[in-house]
Amino acid sequence: MNRNLSRIIALSAGAIAIALPLFAGDYPLQVARNVMMYMALAITWDMLLRSGQISFGIAGLFGLGAYAGILGMIRGGMPAWLSIPFAAFVAGFAAFLIGFMILRLRAMYFSIVTLALGEIFRIIIHNLHDFTGGPEGIVIQQGVIFGGSSSKLYWLTLGGLAVAIAASYWFEHSKIHFALTAIRNNETSAKSSGIDIFKWLLVAFVVTSAIQGLLGGIFVQSYGFATPETVFSADFTLLPLAMALLGGVYSTVGPIFGAILLGLVAEWLKLKIPYGHLVVYGIIIILVILFMPNGLLGRIRQTTGKRAGRTA
Amino acid sequence: MTKLETANLTRRFMGLVAVNNVSFKLEQGEILGIIGPNGAGKTTFINLVSGIIMPSEGTITFNGRDITYMPAHERARLGIARTYQLIHPLENLNLIENVMIGSIFAKGSSLKEARRKAERLCEEMGLTNLERDTAKLTILEIKKMEIARALANEPEVLFLDEVMAGLNSDETKDLIATVKKIAAERKLAVGVVEHVMGVIRELTNRVIVLESGELIAEGPYEEVSKNPRVIEAYLGGAA
Ligand SMILES: Nc1ncnc2c1ncn2[C@@H]1O[C@H](COP(=O)(O)OP(=O)(O)O)[C@@H](O)[C@H]1O
Ligand SMILES: [Mg+2]
Repeated sequence: MNRNLSRIIALSAGAIAIALPLFAGDYPLQVARNVMMYMALAITWDMLLRSGQISFGIAGLFGLGAYAGILGMIRGGMPAWLSIPFAAFVAGFAAFLIGFMILRLRAMYFSIVTLALGEIFRIIIHNLHDFTGGPEGIVIQQGVIFGGSSSKLYWLTLGGLAVAIAASYWFEHSKIHFALTAIRNNETSAKSSGIDIFKWLLVAFVVTSAIQGLLGGIFVQSYGFATPETVFSADFTLLPLAMALLGGVYSTVGPIFGAILLGLVAEWLKLKIPYGHLVVYGIIIILVILFMPNGLLGRIRQTTGKRAGRTA
Repeated sequence: MTKLETANLTRRFMGLVAVNNVSFKLEQGEILGIIGPNGAGKTTFINLVSGIIMPSEGTITFNGRDITYMPAHERARLGIARTYQLIHPLENLNLIENVMIGSIFAKGSSLKEARRKAERLCEEMGLTNLERDTAKLTILEIKKMEIARALANEPEVLFLDEVMAGLNSDETKDLIATVKKIAAERKLAVGVVEHVMGVIRELTNRVIVLESGELIAEGPYEEVSKNPRVIEAYLGGAA
């Protein structure tokens, strides 16, 4: 695609996104907020995938951030605005510590351990009844950010998305792009080019986890409460993954594209089959992996004769 | 001046001794051939000195400094570069980006600087049309790209593991000339593993011969090729 054309599309999309609350009602704003939240998670999942590591831990870090934010406010007396960067910090710091243990693992082993992480966080929070509110969850009695104004919450979420997009752009246009791509392609030859594999994986894991935590922090502000079941829901792992795969991996545009498509479908599905929608994402993931490994974007690039991100 | 030295270097894989008690020196400005039948331990030896695997016993020194257990990426920064027997083009990066990697991480260059250096290296290697996808390159171009990527580390020591494999005789001639030129201009210490004895004769000042992990002979190719033990190793190994 022509560079200027892409820039114009990006700028107009940004302008529309910013202006949306001026003409849209509460329901569409809430749908848009959901789509943006998942979009941002899809982007962060893709950012780590660029190193070849498949994480199933999105919900874990998102939920951890959500609880860090809400507990920071309720137990720590933080103002609402501060709880959000605090959520990012806690998730990022947790990822830093965990990273030392798990970033030596590869492929399936890494994926399974990240999946277990979410469960561990959930169980701990579930059982620390006095501090976290246990299975019943915890509610922000007063001081919810922006008094719950739906347009301001929308902008807040848009801000979270902007952070994810900016980070992803940075990942695509700096040394880290070369580091992660080289690691994904061949770790042995990456080492021979002077790449400290562990260091770059740690950077990618901490940055993506911090953003996932940040989004969790924004999420609890938007809803005013957290329960282990809501914030650690498998939705937060499966839906972003399906979105990125559907749109096309190893880029910022792919997950955005996939999130718009699947996010709108998901909203509709949730209304139609409230308990079965996860199955549909599962099926989408399987179909995309089998028949369209480069995603829709890859398909488009292939048919327009441009280089597509390869999967192997 | 001795750039790289090993003393009693040994690597075992379970019961198998892939490299057995090898002591050698690599001098600045020389091109050393590393020969021996299949499975003799040549690649394992390069893996050891470049830090891809760690030795079971023995020491490795670079410019007089002990680097026996130094991680591979640090050795790359220090000045030891290599290519691989199996080619490793980074498929999601194009030709020039593949070459840039070395300067970015081994030398800490900015992306802009790395690109400029990579352009110069590619020109030196005779590579053109630098924005090409690696899938569009010929084997010779891929081999040159991999050498250029190693050179982007700005190494003092360079190991080439069977770079001529898969090339026809014209391409081989081309690459021999290129390797000689880049080695001479940089006063590199080069270690080349090669199957084709004609290449070894053309390219090297000195060879070492490995058999079953042991260093069995050393000297100029003309001399070593007449050594009865070497002849037997090759005939016995049916190489
Ligand atoms: N990672 C490994 N694990 C087990 N055995 C290995 C490994 N790498 C090499 N070997 C064995 O070590 C011996 C030497 O192999 P190699 O160094 O590749 O030989 P060459 O390069 O001279 O053909 C072979 O018998 C090979 O099977
Ligand atoms: Mg070999």
